Amino acid sequence: MYAIPFHHMIVGLAAGAGTLMGLCAFLAWLSNYVSNLESSKSTLDKASYAASILTLVALPMAMFSGYYSDSDPTGSAILYNKFIFSGIAIGFTSSYIVGRARFGSDLWDHSALANLQMLSALFSLTAIMILGSIGSKITLGESTLDILPFWPEFMNSIVINQWVSLFLLLIGAVSVVFSFRIVGSFKPISDLD
Amino acid sequence: MKRSRILVLSVILTLLLASSSGVANPGGKGDSNRDFTCGGSCHGDPSLSSPSSADIQIDMKSTAFSGTATAVSISISGMDLSDNRLVGIFLLGSKNGNDDHPEDHGWQIIQDPNGGTSNYVEVVSSDASVTANWVLLAPIEEGVKEIFASIHHGSMYNPDNKAFSGETEGFIVNIDPIPENYPTLKEGWLSPDSRVSGDSSAIIIKTVNTESLSVLWKLSGESQSHEASVDMVADQEWEVLLPATLGDTRIEYQIIASKGDFSNQMPWLSMGTSEPYFDGTSLGAKLQSFSFTLIILGFMLSLQAWFAPRGVRKLIDNTNEVEELISEEDSDYWSRLIASDENPGWLWDPIEKKWVADPNFSGDEQ
Repeated sequence: MYAIPFHHMIVGLAAGAGTLMGLCAFLAWLSNYVSNLESSKSTLDKASYAASILTLVALPMAMFSGYYSDSDPTGSAILYNKFIFSGIAIGFTSSYIVGRARFGSDLWDHSALANLQMLSALFSLTAIMILGSIGSKITLGESTLDILPFWPEFMNSIVINQWVSLFLLLIGAVSVVFSFRIVGSFKPISDLD
Repeated sequence: MKRSRILVLSVILTLLLASSSGVANPGGKGDSNRDFTCGGSCHGDPSLSSPSSADIQIDMKSTAFSGTATAVSISISGMDLSDNRLVGIFLLGSKNGNDDHPEDHGWQIIQDPNGGTSNYVEVVSSDASVTANWVLLAPIEEGVKEIFASIHHGSMYNPDNKAFSGETEGFIVNIDPIPENYPTLKEGWLSPDSRVSGDSSAIIIKTVNTESLSVLWKLSGESQSHEASVDMVADQEWEVLLPATLGDTRIEYQIIASKGDFSNQMPWLSMGTSEPYFDGTSLGAKLQSFSFTLIILGFMLSLQAWFAPRGVRKLIDNTNEVEELISEEDSDYWSRLIASDENPGWLWDPIEKKWVADPNFSGDEQ
């Protein structure tokens, strides 16, 4: 009964936090090139970090509430796409948080890592925007992003066989474990000469 | 005894409160087969309904051949609708409150205004008027038949949440005997209500007394019609190729059955477009979503490892502590040395028992 209003509330929270994360991360990255932003770099970094944690909490809750606010949550391609893009958004948000936690705030001074963090945040924001657009398509029948000429067709989806998905999940889990072991050996940049 | 009375009174009070707060489905109940005013329930209750201001007209031929297709058009105007603009329209064979379905009176619904085969449909009206068309097979039984129409809807100003109902008098139709060898549709054939998006497979039409069949088609809203390709696949069975449709498109088609020089041009039928079958499952969606999460996370972590700076970790700088320690040791050492007047410029170390040069001695002191 309350799943739909709860879903609307959580979706708003996830979209807001995701937008804050993406914009602040982009501005923190830009501060390396725009001197006016240099003094705000630390603030932007902290805001982006906090917003990314909130996004990571809100996204699974949005998935959960969305699942219970529809009688057939995976009955059509457009709803199936919501699951897929939620997974993508969670993946990029998680990698942003891990990177920030591992390397500290000084990562923005390291060009390659700063680029990677900025891309993680922007890809996550893009996935969240697509999720919002799909939701808008379902409830309102149209979305603001319809004006883009190259916008993908959400009425179709790529459905992978469950066993293939399970295999991909195992590969993903193994790669995450190994990557954590490698990344775990690195220290915050502030500890390096 | 007292408790049971209280219980009974509570139940009665609850039921009374529940009944007074109820409204009769203001959002509609969907297309279905229903009797007049839903069999007298809800909207049939005078306390829950009021007369509609709508003008309702039935338009159909006053004569139909037994068992042949005929069209009924119901035009409604002058309504004051609620926010959702929803109107429920009944096509009826009587207004008794039971057995009112046209099929109870020998008619067969081939198609309703929404593409189905219901006698009650709900349509959304963009203005205060609406026209709904049914295609029926006339009763086999000859004689005089009646067709009725009834509507119900909400209203913009409706503080009591009433339904506004309207109805027509019976429209009299004479069912004449079918002329010998009259080409028409076979009894029991139903028009398909929809095809899957992109599906261009043929539809099968079954007829009687038909030597040739032609089918015209047009997209809903178009005025120009086109001729479809028709093949006879069996006796009185025809395969008609209509173009595939996508999205919300409806395609309309008209069947013209001919025998010799006589042609029976039937009413326009319509067919909607349904979404293609989707074979995704709930478990599959969760697995796919989670696998995407882990693969992206693993990939991005690998890139972080790749790009991570490989500097030497800063050594701990204990210079100050060492210097303090050295100075403390030095002060202890120099304090134990004893100056001697006999040997100016030298200090005696009583522990190591040796003379040490005094670093503070200058020759001027002699």
